Amino acid sequence: MRYVRIFFIFFQDAFVNRSTSFVWFLLALFNPLIALLFWRGAFQSGGAALIGWSYQMIASYYLLLVVANTLLMPHIEMEIARRDIQMGMLSNYLTRPFPYLLLKLFSELPWRIIQTFFAVSVLLFITIGLRVNVHIAQDPFLLVFTLVIAAAAHLVAFMFKMVLGLSALWVTDFGGLSEFADVVIIIFAGFVVPLALFPQWLRPIAEASPFAYMIYYPLVSLLGQISIAGMIRVLAGEIIWFSVLFVLYRVMWTSGIKKFTGIGQ
Amino acid sequence: MIISVSDLSKHYRVHKKEPGFLGSLRSLFHREYETVKAVDDISFTIDGGELVGFIGPNGAGKTTTLKCLSGLLYPTAGRVSVLGFTPFDRKTAFLKQIALVMGQKNQLWWDLPASETFLLNKEIYEIPDSEYKKTLNELVDLLEVEQILKVQVRKLSLGERMKMELIAALIHTPKVLFLDEPTIGLDVVMQKKMRDFVRAYNEMHKSTILLTSHYMEDVRQLARRVIIIDHGKILYDGKLDQLVKKFAKYKVLSVILESYVPPDKLKEIGELTDYDFPRAVIRVPRSASNVAAAQILQKFPVDDLNIEEPDIEDIIRDVFTRKP
Repeated sequence: MRYVRIFFIFFQDAFVNRSTSFVWFLLALFNPLIALLFWRGAFQSGGAALIGWSYQMIASYYLLLVVANTLLMPHIEMEIARRDIQMGMLSNYLTRPFPYLLLKLFSELPWRIIQTFFAVSVLLFITIGLRVNVHIAQDPFLLVFTLVIAAAAHLVAFMFKMVLGLSALWVTDFGGLSEFADVVIIIFAGFVVPLALFPQWLRPIAEASPFAYMIYYPLVSLLGQISIAGMIRVLAGEIIWFSVLFVLYRVMWTSGIKKFTGIGQ
Repeated sequence: MIISVSDLSKHYRVHKKEPGFLGSLRSLFHREYETVKAVDDISFTIDGGELVGFIGPNGAGKTTTLKCLSGLLYPTAGRVSVLGFTPFDRKTAFLKQIALVMGQKNQLWWDLPASETFLLNKEIYEIPDSEYKKTLNELVDLLEVEQILKVQVRKLSLGERMKMELIAALIHTPKVLFLDEPTIGLDVVMQKKMRDFVRAYNEMHKSTILLTSHYMEDVRQLARRVIIIDHGKILYDGKLDQLVKKFAKYKVLSVILESYVPPDKLKEIGELTDYDFPRAVIRVPRSASNVAAAQILQKFPVDDLNIEEPDIEDIIRDVFTRKP
């Protein structure tokens, strides 16, 4: 119950800043919609016939990508690097008897929920109001398994962003690193095109990377494009990546905290 | 003994770069580093219930010491024990008994009333409901903030925010409180209120308080014991009144003259630090103050004469500039 109460206190902070959430949601909305417009043009001109995906599948992919992005992708790295480390606010966390990792998780979850509320509202408007057919898996078991994969995906993304943020303990110009990470995530998490459409030489690399487990796999699971065996493999991959990132986080935290000088405090 | 520090050092390695583009290029291939001794081999102990003032100029090592004591910084060398714990281990039992308040940074949520931060801390510190209500009521009464409990933090004045910061930091009733510049930026009225609160809290809870401040008045009003630190080294550790005897090697003769006396004549008595006829202020060696006073009365037309101890701020300034 203690954790639930802490979550609800953080929820109030995110709720009071719901306009900020809405701006973040718009960012998550526009890129997939623009990509969808491009695909629409490609299909209408017949140029997309060879990819093996129907327009309905592509449309479903990008519309659900908005929901997946708002729900699964945390944006904690800048706050960790700039506010906590570079401005010294980490001191406030270090002198309180509660793990920093959990406080960050609790503070981020409400933002995901509020932004997802906006995303689902838009999705419902598109599917019901505009009568666009969004394809998702029909088997309830697959849907439940997708939820498990999605939860694990969020944890993988969360740990990656924690590690990225903590790198500010060593890196002076965090902005450059963050920009680079964003570009890599956009490409390898499936924001630009589904990884299935990647060139043959790049596809195995992209599919094995942690970024695919953050967004792409939960998304194609929801679309019903992965079998049960495939889902189990995805979950195993998520557990492996989470474990690797968690160990990396622990190593960085243990050694980085000794470097932390609380500059700005 | 609540706090024990022995041979504590905290050194930083700082990168040095020559100015200009060439300097940048050179530092790409050959980086020069300098070791800064923020705290250099200091030792002291503090008993339970003591309120100790930590004084020093900017960069003296006050905040670094406080950070080592609260577990924020990993010492380069030496041993630190607070409440029987090694601070840097940051054990939950340790963190539940201490609080660190930094005047320039806050833990309050900007867009919510401060009461929400208090509630978060209640959960973080696992404070039972009844204890939380009792402590909160006590702190709210002491700081007179009942009217602003439900006001968004962003709409509070700096002084009001600082009061709320103190409540957030003290809601778990810490045994040891580290206050780093708690009155910085506050007006004189609010500074006095904060001092009154710290004194009342110390008396009420017998908590151990270590206070740093740039304002001598904070230390003078609150702390009977002071630790003076400069360049990472302790220059003095003892009672405030003893500081005068130890470091003030001079006394101040404050003279009101009946008629004008040329400054050169007054300088024959001692160091003329201020002369705005009819008032003259002369520094003389402590041991010669009576003789100097007699000379003034004999040689000059004097309306009034006082032999005074130097101002404590002057003494401390002298300690820092090494000319006691």
